[in-house]
Amino acid sequence: MNAIDPRIHQALDGEISRDSLPPELRGTVDRLETVAALLASAPAAAGLEARVMAALRRPAPPGAGARRLVRWLTTPHPVTFRIRPAWSLALAAAVALLTLVPTQEAGPVLGEHEGIAQFVGRFPDARSVHVVGSFNDWRPGTIPLEDPDHDGVWRATVVLPTGAYEYMFVVDGERWVPDHMVDRLVEDDFGRENSIVIVRTARR
Amino acid sequence: MDVRGGPSDQEVVARVLGGDREAFGLVIRRYETGLVRFATRMLGSRDAAADAVAESLMRAYRHLASCRDPSRLRTWLYRIVANRCKSYLARRHVGDVTLEEASPVADSTDNEASLERAEQLALAARALAQLSSEKREAFVLKHVEGLSYQEMAAVTGVRIPTLKMRVHRAREALLRALEDHA
Amino acid sequence: MKLGLLLALVASPLGAQSVRGRLEGRVPTLAIPVVDSLVQVAAREDLPTEPLVQKALEGGAKRVPPQQIAAAGQVMLGQLRDARELLVRAGDAAPTTAAEVTTVYSALKRGLAPRVVARIVAALPQEPRGSALHAVADLAAHRFDADSAASLILDATRQGLRGERLLDVSTAVLHEAQRGRSRNEALALVRQRLPNVPPPPKPGRASIAGARRPEAAAPPP
Repeated sequence: MNAIDPRIHQALDGEISRDSLPPELRGTVDRLETVAALLASAPAAAGLEARVMAALRRPAPPGAGARRLVRWLTTPHPVTFRIRPAWSLALAAAVALLTLVPTQEAGPVLGEHEGIAQFVGRFPDARSVHVVGSFNDWRPGTIPLEDPDHDGVWRATVVLPTGAYEYMFVVDGERWVPDHMVDRLVEDDFGRENSIVIVRTARR
Repeated sequence: MDVRGGPSDQEVVARVLGGDREAFGLVIRRYETGLVRFATRMLGSRDAAADAVAESLMRAYRHLASCRDPSRLRTWLYRIVANRCKSYLARRHVGDVTLEEASPVADSTDNEASLERAEQLALAARALAQLSSEKREAFVLKHVEGLSYQEMAAVTGVRIPTLKMRVHRAREALLRALEDHA
Repeated sequence: MKLGLLLALVASPLGAQSVRGRLEGRVPTLAIPVVDSLVQVAAREDLPTEPLVQKALEGGAKRVPPQQIAAAGQVMLGQLRDARELLVRAGDAAPTTAAEVTTVYSALKRGLAPRVVARIVAALPQEPRGSALHAVADLAAHRFDADSAASLILDATRQGLRGERLLDVSTAVLHEAQRGRSRNEALALVRQRLPNVPPPPKPGRASIAGARRPEAAAPPP
């Protein structure tokens, strides 16, 4: 392979200025940059959002066995038969529908002025996480978040009257942490920031 | 907060993990263009790229909780797509894309400038298709997607010195391929 | 108002028992009479009292020293007065409702300029303004011009969107910005589409099934 002048690599890696190169080397740098720019011109929009979201909206299989089957079907395998990935997705969705047993978990009945608030926080080393706010009179310890699969992501889903509430997370019973994953933050007048959750009516 | 406005990747990830499935649409809109472009350049076929990215996004959705650092969602997604492209190429038992698939379709507004540009792009795509998949991946991530070597290491799991070497070799091979086609 | 003066107001017994009952054991003992007196002042002035109680409970839960709890309550009382004054100046006939004062107080706390809040209040005389104000504040938090954001939300109300649906307008704008449009383009695009903005997804069956009611669920203050 013909090695090119190392200064061309240095210029392309931003280690030296392009202008410091002699004209013949600058031409090579420009040529590679032109090629990169051409290749960077975006292909026509693939419209993946509708396609992927439609697949995700289909009901999930109820059991781990079914999940494994779907995973197997949606993951390309080097053995047995070859199918186009697009077809494998469609086939997986069809199998998921066929094997699905609708869940009939009742859950709470929501009133006209009630909605669902979902709290999520990433606390990889936490032993416990609670959410405390104006919805529970700032009473610590009443609404725990859970991390059943121990992936460090803690969640709680709570029925609340509709409206806006301020809250914080309490980690390990003592560390107060705002929910930095939301955009709505407000000063708490004690030197920190509360997060705001707006609970909307679930009956629409 | 994301520099372009709107919720940050962390926030979007949190919403999805909290059960707001529709928020994943934001992730798709935000990164679809780059991911499809990357996969198109890797596989040489827009259809195959769209399939690979669609599969990757579904996989990303299912395993979102394992994205340890949502602020690096972008490189995590590129990693999933890169792996999917490798599987696709391995399944075809060919590391290189075919020339037919590498040919771009001329812009529908067929004027002289766009035809010339389409020709140039075809030439560049053919030259790129001649590189080994490792070099192609290194060149595309560095120069087409504009990733830093550090981000490339996160995407590929390959050490930075090795990546630099691959990019350098890719540049040299690309120049030779361009001369051959010129 | 100095802390000493507040402490002197402790003697007033009106309505004290119920507030004290909620604070005792949860707020430092020294702060309870101060908060109690602030609540009574607010009640006499027809201002909302629940935000003051909540702020004290919050301070107690966060183990804030009693002086800071008292100071925060005192500041809040002034802000509630400002909120009520804004409402009246914007055209709300006195007496204003506690809920509307709290709404305006919250919007000002979120950083909206009084001028912008007053504009929304004046434009929506016959209805709750909470969602409209949150929608504007959401956009302002993403560095959208608050006046332009307010104009869009008011346009949405003229197109028939009300209440929580106004939050979908700000969400639609943020989505457009996320797709790479400039802030002005995003505002213009959503304005063109009004009143067609996508509603949020309904909570899935699984989410509802997994939801619990907290022990002490309280309506928003």
